[in-house]
Amino acid sequence: MPKLTIDGKEIEVADGTTVFEAARQADISIPHFCYHPKLSIAGNCRMCLVDIEKMPKPAISCNTVANEGMVVNTKTEKVKELQKSVLEFILINHPIDCPVCDQAGECKLQEFYMDYTMTDSEFHEEKVKKPKKVDLGPNVMLDDERCILCSRCIRFCDEITHTSELCFSERGDRSTLTTFPGKQLDNKYSLNTVDICPVGALTSKPFRFQKRVWFLKHVPSVCSGCATGCNIYMDYDDGKVWRYRTRDNESVNQCWTCDAGRLSYPLHNEKRVTRPMVRKNGVLEYSTISDALGEIARALSSLGGDEAVLVGSAQESNENNMALKKFGQTCQIKDLQYSAKPKDDADADNFLIKADKNPNRAGVQHLGYQEFHGGIGVKVVLALEGFSETHLSQLREEGPVAFILLATHLGPETELADVVLPAATFGEQEGSFTNFQNRVQKFEAALIPQGMVLPAWKWLEKIAQELKQPLQLSAEALLQEGFGLKFADLGTEGKILESKN
Amino acid sequence: MADIKFNEANQKKFEQLLKRYPQKRAAMLPTLWLAQEQYGWLSPEVMTYVGGLLEVPPSKVYEVATFYTMFHLQPVGKYHFQVCRTLSCQLRGAEGITAQLKKRFGIGIGQTSEDGRFTLTEVECLGSCGTAPMLQLNDDYHEDLTEAKLDQLIESLE
Amino acid sequence: MDVMEAKVLTKNFGVKDSHTLPVYESTGGYNVLKRLFSMKPEEVIEEVKKSGLRGRGGAGFPTGLKWSFVPKDSPKPKYLCVNADESEPGTFKDRYLMELDPHRLIEGIIVCSYAIDCHQSYIYIRGEFVFPKERLEQAIAEAYAKGYLGKNILGSGYDLELTVHRGAGAYICGEETALLNSLEGLRGMPRLKPPFPAVVGLFGCPTVVNNVETLSALPFILGEGPEAYRKFGTEKSPGTKMFSVSGHVVRPGNYEIPLGYSLKKLIEEDCGGMKDGKALKAVIPGGSSVPVLPAKDAMEVNLDYESLAEKGSMLGSGGVIVMDETTCMVKTLTNLAHFYAHESCGQCSPCREGTGWAHKILKRMLAGEGRAGDLETLHRIADNMAGKTICVLADALAMPIWSYLKHFRSEFEAYIEK
Ligand SMILES: Cc1cc2nc3c(=O)[nH]c(=O)nc-3n(C[C@H](O)[C@H](O)[C@H](O)COP(=O)(O)O)c2cc1C
Ligand code: SF4
Ligand code: SF4
Ligand code: SF4
Ligand code: FES
Ligand code: FES
Repeated sequence: MPKLTIDGKEIEVADGTTVFEAARQADISIPHFCYHPKLSIAGNCRMCLVDIEKMPKPAISCNTVANEGMVVNTKTEKVKELQKSVLEFILINHPIDCPVCDQAGECKLQEFYMDYTMTDSEFHEEKVKKPKKVDLGPNVMLDDERCILCSRCIRFCDEITHTSELCFSERGDRSTLTTFPGKQLDNKYSLNTVDICPVGALTSKPFRFQKRVWFLKHVPSVCSGCATGCNIYMDYDDGKVWRYRTRDNESVNQCWTCDAGRLSYPLHNEKRVTRPMVRKNGVLEYSTISDALGEIARALSSLGGDEAVLVGSAQESNENNMALKKFGQTCQIKDLQYSAKPKDDADADNFLIKADKNPNRAGVQHLGYQEFHGGIGVKVVLALEGFSETHLSQLREEGPVAFILLATHLGPETELADVVLPAATFGEQEGSFTNFQNRVQKFEAALIPQGMVLPAWKWLEKIAQELKQPLQLSAEALLQEGFGLKFADLGTEGKILESKN
Repeated sequence: MADIKFNEANQKKFEQLLKRYPQKRAAMLPTLWLAQEQYGWLSPEVMTYVGGLLEVPPSKVYEVATFYTMFHLQPVGKYHFQVCRTLSCQLRGAEGITAQLKKRFGIGIGQTSEDGRFTLTEVECLGSCGTAPMLQLNDDYHEDLTEAKLDQLIESLE
Repeated sequence: MDVMEAKVLTKNFGVKDSHTLPVYESTGGYNVLKRLFSMKPEEVIEEVKKSGLRGRGGAGFPTGLKWSFVPKDSPKPKYLCVNADESEPGTFKDRYLMELDPHRLIEGIIVCSYAIDCHQSYIYIRGEFVFPKERLEQAIAEAYAKGYLGKNILGSGYDLELTVHRGAGAYICGEETALLNSLEGLRGMPRLKPPFPAVVGLFGCPTVVNNVETLSALPFILGEGPEAYRKFGTEKSPGTKMFSVSGHVVRPGNYEIPLGYSLKKLIEEDCGGMKDGKALKAVIPGGSSVPVLPAKDAMEVNLDYESLAEKGSMLGSGGVIVMDETTCMVKTLTNLAHFYAHESCGQCSPCREGTGWAHKILKRMLAGEGRAGDLETLHRIADNMAGKTICVLADALAMPIWSYLKHFRSEFEAYIEK
């Protein structure tokens, strides 16, 4: 456990810790480009040079192991000059075109450039010409002139995905990031390279130039693409979700997400159910809220408790499923089943992507729901989003069934429903999912539900009211009752459920 | 492109090569050399083949092939004139040698004559500075060059 | 000391068929092996330390000391990589050592391998050296056939395999860790240090990298003893060294001389003086990366580590580049900047960008478009890249820049528009 001094602060660190990490632990940030905590050390950008007393030359902090008694300076004039000169080198062949760069606002180069209030460089020569608009793969574009050759993206493909699509060709200042001729950067995690690219060289095709990043607001959230529940930031503005970005969670997704999950954000914006619908004379029509609620009340009130089934959903939040369970208790409906997307074994790996494409199977199971198995003598089904045509036809084999759906999206199942209520997505409400590790993870509301859209639990409250049953719900209380947790307990890393037995 | 495959002799050489290294990948340069000898240059197909032999992703063959100046990523002429342009040769007239070749073949540096016979490149110090100016024609060094000697050399080529 | 006596490396150079085994044996070749196998590896290292032999590849690191860093208790195989990448401009000695006396090198390789407990050695030879490579391969085949290489060498129980590995055109592969990467089938990019090759080298195993000339001196040192070797040279720079002389002299070529020899004598006597009777302007005494010496300093200096350091230059690889009064210093520095920009591996920002930038400025100046501030910028580039990179290629251009600007500033100023 060596003790060292960085900028006058004395700290003790674990054996083998680098000076860079030691500084980070002491809340001292050292400018850097190539270093990435999840990748091997390349030591090529030279931006993290620091002055270590008694060492003959400046040393890169990312590859220097902290030793007992070391005295490190990271903020002295001398070090500032070092960093400035490295920055100048990096900038001479860089097209400083921040105003038209997609990365502007999140570019480390731009950030440092500003920090050092660099004046016009003495560079009067022609810049090295390189390919500008390279279609690197299905999701990623490359501007080689912007690339500062830090090799992060290459190391990512070598060390994390083991797909090795990327490499540098040539050498010296002709070095160029590329793929093998005719090949593409095409792996299930390719957009992470965009995240880790410290400059605007790699950009996300789906996001390119859609929106200037500085307009975007964000909330912490969780991807709903599979049972992993990668932590994300949901970037939004103008009532739309514009993108997901990875949010670090060391015990779930580290700092990565898969492309499919990351690109699933349009679900908040597209094909939404916005108004209630009721089937009249065999035709599904838009209706008022009160008509729809009245229709539901009519269908439910005339029944015995075992003639109805409540279908929760592994796609829906802990809170909405708990609300449905409570609704059942209030209305004496005991049959609790849940719908789930089928497993996809072909689209699974031993990194992040799970065959189980449901974000909350563990949550519904915890609440005591049985996986959907149909039933005999069912007259009414009330289901959360996720209930599909197949589920319905299984029920209807036994005879006519009234079908009430709290739907977020239009689809074949809404076509078949008798009553549809417009439900909010997880981007429009506060709530939580329980991932495959039994980790309850919180998401916050980015958007205000538009028009008549409400979170499912609010609809259930209203239905209960219509049935003259007292039911007062809140997301916080639902989480507390179903899982014994408060949102505040979940923190940024989530909380593993105590096993029930 | 026809099937890329080492001919019998090269296949044998390749198998011998592998025995000299504890890791297949270490045979990269010698294998690329064999491939270049057989095909004259390293096309993407050839590099993919080499990657397959050495169990290395094609990008990792490509990054190597483009790093080293002696690997040809494009076909070169039958006679590849590589004139040393570095200091000791420059001091003793390398520029004259390059000029003479440019004029003679009507091509610039980095170009191949229309008939595909001659390629001219400038290269860095070839470790023959004491016998400058000099050039490497394909594998062979030609040293202590003069205008007359160079003319003679060109005449001697078919 | 008479130069003619001081022949440690080149004594067979004039002999017919010196590259063949029978000739090498007839001059006492491979005699050292019997003694070698009777010694303990530590004793061999001790003798080499005593000889004062320093690396002849450029850095001048004490050879015996380098070997002693190889961990003895490591269960991993150990490797010797012979640096035959010779590409420092102005240097062409290893080529002749391999062409004319390859067995001396092989014998040296056996000595070093035995001392560090290595059983597989690689000679990394630059790709352009096709003929020297053929010579080496012939010699190795001869040595295998005679039992000097392979299993149980001369009944000693010691095994050694020797493989020639051909590079493919990259100066940087002469840097020892770039060489290791290149040998492993990667781009020839220098590695971060630490760890040093002696501990983590080729294939992650302890490795010694030595230059051809360094190893070629070993048969003499082991055969005649360290004291005999120390008879040549100076107290602090013992032994002989090859100097490759090129440029404006009457007889360019390789000269083996005892260290401490006068540069003036080398140029004026051994090399027959200046070509066409011109006056001397400057000398780069140790390969293109070392600081240039103006004529006056060059005429005063002796060729040993200390004397050259005193004059602000270095012994380097022993490539002596002689320039006469007609030489344009801006042009020669531009030539060197082109070289380093072309050969930078490109991983470190300061070197990749700095070498290219310096070259562009110089090229522009040479084209008559020098601007005020160019010289300051050049100086600043050198200051900002030297000592801040993974290997010293950046320094290898910084040193010429500093020294050219220091000694020949007015010539550069003449290229700046007034
Ligand atoms: C850019 C660069 C190029 C080098 N080129 C060579 C070379 O061509 N040959 C060589 O023997 N050493 C070269 N070296 C020195 C080697 O890194 C290393 O010090 C040497 O091979 C060690 O052997 P020695 O101790 O026997 O000299 C070079 C070093 C640098 C930084
Ligand atoms: S594209 Fe970005 S991440 Fe990749 S090497 Fe270039 S700057 Fe680094
Ligand atoms: S791995 Fe699963 S949770 Fe993570 S981003 Fe992909 S789909 Fe979403
Ligand atoms: S200093 Fe230059 S040659 Fe050396 S590792 Fe860095 S970029 Fe490569
Ligand atoms: S962050 Fe340390 S060298 Fe790049
Ligand atoms: S400078 Fe031309 S061979 Fe060395």
